[in-house]
Amino acid sequence: MLSYQQQYLENVRKIAALSDFYGISAPDYESWYEKQLLSRRQIATLREENIALLSGYLFPALDELHTASEADINALEEFAGALMDWSTNLDCGIYLLIHDSLLSLYRFRRDRNRVIKELYMVGMGLYYQSRSLQGIECEALTALRFRNEMVFTEGGSYLKFFSELDDEETKGYIIRSLANIAICSSDLGRRVAISKRVLQIVQDDYYRSRAPSLPWDTFLQRTHMQMSSNRAVLSKGGLSAEELAAVLESCEVVFKPESGTETPNVRWLWPYYEMEYSCGFVDLATTLSRMERLIEDAPYDSYDVSGLYANVQLPIYYGRLVRDNPSLQTKHEHIRFLDRAYRKMMRTLLSCPAESFTDFFFYNICLVVTDYFEIDGVESYRDITTKLMKRLTGHLYIRSRRAGELMRLCSTAIYRSDPAFFDDIGFLRSVPNGAEKEKAVADYAEQCGLYHDFGLIKMNFERLCQTRDLFEGEQRMYELHTISGHDDLAARRSTAIFADAALGHHRWYDGSDGYPADYVRNSSPYRQMTDLVAVVAFINDCDALSPREAVASVIAQEHSRFSPLITAFLSDEALLAGIEEIFRQHDEPYYRELYCGLTGSDSETTN
Amino acid sequence: MDEASVTLKQQNEQLQREIESLRLRLQEAQNANLAKESFLSNMSHDIRTPMNAIVGMTALAKKHIDEKSRVSDALDKIEIASSHLLSLINDVLDMSRINSGRMTVVEELFSLGDLLHETLTIVRPQAEQRQHSFHFDAENIFAESLYGDALRLRQIYVNIINNAVKYTPERGEITLSVREEEADGRCVLVFLCRDNGIGMSEDFLQRIFDPFERVSSSTLSGVEGTGLGMSIVKKLIDAMAGTIAIESAPGRGTTVTIRIPLRYESVHLNTAPLESRRLLIIEADEALQTLYRRFLDEAGLSYTIVSSSSAAVSAITEADFRGEGYSCAILGRDVGRSNSIFELASYLHKAKSELTLVLVSDLDWGEIEYRANRSGISAFIPIPFFRKSLINGLAHALESSDTGTVSSAVPDLTGKRILLAEDNDINREIACEILSATKVSVDCAANGQEAVDLFLGSAVGTYDLILMDIQMPVMDGYAAVARIRGEAREDAQTIPIFAMTANAFAEDIARARAGGMNGHIAKPIDINLLMQTLRQAL
Repeated sequence: MLSYQQQYLENVRKIAALSDFYGISAPDYESWYEKQLLSRRQIATLREENIALLSGYLFPALDELHTASEADINALEEFAGALMDWSTNLDCGIYLLIHDSLLSLYRFRRDRNRVIKELYMVGMGLYYQSRSLQGIECEALTALRFRNEMVFTEGGSYLKFFSELDDEETKGYIIRSLANIAICSSDLGRRVAISKRVLQIVQDDYYRSRAPSLPWDTFLQRTHMQMSSNRAVLSKGGLSAEELAAVLESCEVVFKPESGTETPNVRWLWPYYEMEYSCGFVDLATTLSRMERLIEDAPYDSYDVSGLYANVQLPIYYGRLVRDNPSLQTKHEHIRFLDRAYRKMMRTLLSCPAESFTDFFFYNICLVVTDYFEIDGVESYRDITTKLMKRLTGHLYIRSRRAGELMRLCSTAIYRSDPAFFDDIGFLRSVPNGAEKEKAVADYAEQCGLYHDFGLIKMNFERLCQTRDLFEGEQRMYELHTISGHDDLAARRSTAIFADAALGHHRWYDGSDGYPADYVRNSSPYRQMTDLVAVVAFINDCDALSPREAVASVIAQEHSRFSPLITAFLSDEALLAGIEEIFRQHDEPYYRELYCGLTGSDSETTN
Repeated sequence: MDEASVTLKQQNEQLQREIESLRLRLQEAQNANLAKESFLSNMSHDIRTPMNAIVGMTALAKKHIDEKSRVSDALDKIEIASSHLLSLINDVLDMSRINSGRMTVVEELFSLGDLLHETLTIVRPQAEQRQHSFHFDAENIFAESLYGDALRLRQIYVNIINNAVKYTPERGEITLSVREEEADGRCVLVFLCRDNGIGMSEDFLQRIFDPFERVSSSTLSGVEGTGLGMSIVKKLIDAMAGTIAIESAPGRGTTVTIRIPLRYESVHLNTAPLESRRLLIIEADEALQTLYRRFLDEAGLSYTIVSSSSAAVSAITEADFRGEGYSCAILGRDVGRSNSIFELASYLHKAKSELTLVLVSDLDWGEIEYRANRSGISAFIPIPFFRKSLINGLAHALESSDTGTVSSAVPDLTGKRILLAEDNDINREIACEILSATKVSVDCAANGQEAVDLFLGSAVGTYDLILMDIQMPVMDGYAAVARIRGEAREDAQTIPIFAMTANAFAEDIARARAGGMNGHIAKPIDINLLMQTLRQAL
């Protein structure tokens, strides 16, 4: 690797360590707070350094890729590999940029073997990038998955010429591309069909004999694993007997080596149990009790794949079963167990050390945020997501808390001037005017501030944003946090009233710009509050301007970007002074909240 | 006496006739007066309704003038009401023209495929909104180029289909079919529209062509229309020497059959550009696959049909490997996955440079043209297609690709001049080599300062486009563009300038745009993206 590449890599790792609020120890709060402020400054410095490294070295290197030496290209590949080693996704964007550029280069040179390799590399990059959009059904994800599938399909298409190619490594990329078509298809039937075909290929002597050095048995095992992950298809039907048999067989193949061991990998044990349930070999009660045993047997502080599977994914699957079987919802023992399992799940996630924040870990976070089943008797979605925000996205929490305080301040000022201002919102309209209503407005406004960027929790963008500027494609993905946040908040009773603030705060008041285009201000009863969130979010995120300058900028954009009904209040001197005061505190109150969680004085955060 | 009696009798009879005649004229005058009153009454009602919306919504918008989105909502409603009012006025004017004999039908050459595509494009959104299933069949189409008044034919068909859409409860079925019959050396175009809607009574059928007659229904509410449509349709068909037959019964749907005799021109198939070319058709719809096979087999052309995007990518990759690449990929209506036509086109365009991409679709080309061009699609054939429209459409697309007269893999830029600023010798060489295929003239600069000097030292209008590297010695791309855009000369503001850079930060790209550049081409240069940019800019 070249020195700028090593430097960038080191900076990324440093930023990861510095952004872990819980990884910084100090004898008391004051010194801890000082260290946090120092970390914040250091992160900002490292970020600037990273941008300079990329602009000064990487981009020019890609600019001149046609004249690059083989050694330089090797260094680029090594750099890309270090940024994404399949378990720790340090910077998938750079990885993809490098391999996309290499693919263009080799297509231009008509270097077939390298094209095949780069198709595989780009496919993997696209796959990992699309994982950050998991659970957000949107056009962008469909397009990303489509390109991903086409890239692997193109790579896999060379199978027809397997015997005509002379390089075994290239042949390996063909097989792997072919197998991976399955992981990016959203059509379960197609996934099964592809995995079945690959199972046939990797066991076929014709192919094995033409590339004897390839790890065929590993390919076989991995394909069985892939096939077993398609077991959801068993409950949906529509498969031929042969395809059905292939799924069953793969579940059995991955199960067998685990079943006899003392510490089985739950990830490969569970597919078999689930298959047995889907096929009617065992009943629901047996399945639930198997699940309960696996969840209870796993130590909460086991953060490897098996541990996370047992401690996080199984509770989520348990919740799905309760959700899908209404009769279970009336049985106290199942709800009690679900509550216990969810609490254990949170304990695992909140205690997980930063060095175990793998790609799989973040996938689990995404699963929790997307699939948590909120029902009476379990912790509310609002509570668990606040804890996750504090633990995993501390900077987002601090920023969102500040937005909350600004919302409280502004909404109170607006209420005092016009008590009916927020009366389009049904639950506020029903409160009689007076102190109680003022408090209701302020509390609601504060929570809207706290939750407006909720979608970012599961997208795992915080570290990337701290590392460097976003690329154009990443920026478009980032913008999806509005839709993602809205969909997850709207689906739960405890958070539904904050959903519109998450959806609409980046959309311009007059609908002429901003995102998402789907947000139609007029049809939202929460629009006045969302208008206020848009203003507050702008002021809150305007690092380059002083609070007063930011407010002036808001007023300059009234009628177009911001609601004139909101900006009309912003010339009030007392309100401006209040806004300045919030910024003068340097977020100290919110850091204190995090510190309480760290030291255990906030039992909710550390149980 | 007898003579006097006869005369008297005759006079009496004459008087009786005159009285009867006067009575008839009085009756006619009274009827005409009644019709006028009825017309005025109907018109005043039909005009007042949308006017109420316009006046009311205008007042509402004024009341909430500070809330732009509420104003915008009101304007949307005003737009709908105005458009309804306009269609009413148009219908009245049409009626007036027809009644006064001022309306003539023209006889011009038109394409049956285009006529049907336009008709379906107009009616489909409303049908989809009401969740109707919509079937279209065509049979025995021997004449695609017809002589007639395409505009008026479209008006007739749209009117009939719109009635079917409106008077059929949601999730209904509407079947359209078109066939041709030969009679006396002419083509009789037979159009049939069948629905399973509310139908009409025998009594109403007698009055259906009278002005302002509308079906009243308790099952459908909010049905809008001027009530003049069918009168106009009937008069237009009469003017074209055609016939209209309507079969209907309450609750049992309606079938309308229109027959119009038209002159036609014999089909000439231009298969030459398609010979010895391989075509790849991506179409999952079996009925359309059958049509492709029929028309392409009859023309003796070489083709492959696949039914999914991934099968297409595989087929193209395999053919390339064997050196037997496809010349043209036809992206069908159903490529196996919704919304993936443009993504597939983009992928193929980026990965396979030689391929001409043709979209065959029932979408409205006007609405998708920009996106389609950006995805690399260079030609469009509307659905429904027939033998001539398919073969000649494909031939035209490939011919144009060969000569570079339309957007295709390599556009013909003869006579155009580009200023290329690039400090890296090899990159410059590669860019020049790629550009040479377009026959464009290229002047090169090794840094921003040289680019500025070349531009300012040339006569106004010398250059048609500038490709600007960003990171260059002496003067970078941003500074060079700022200098150029800052000049007072006429073309300094208008010349398209594209950044060529590997800088991938969203902020850099935004900065390039803010600094006066029109777009951004990522490095290393992708041939197809460069060609696409040139095609769109020049």
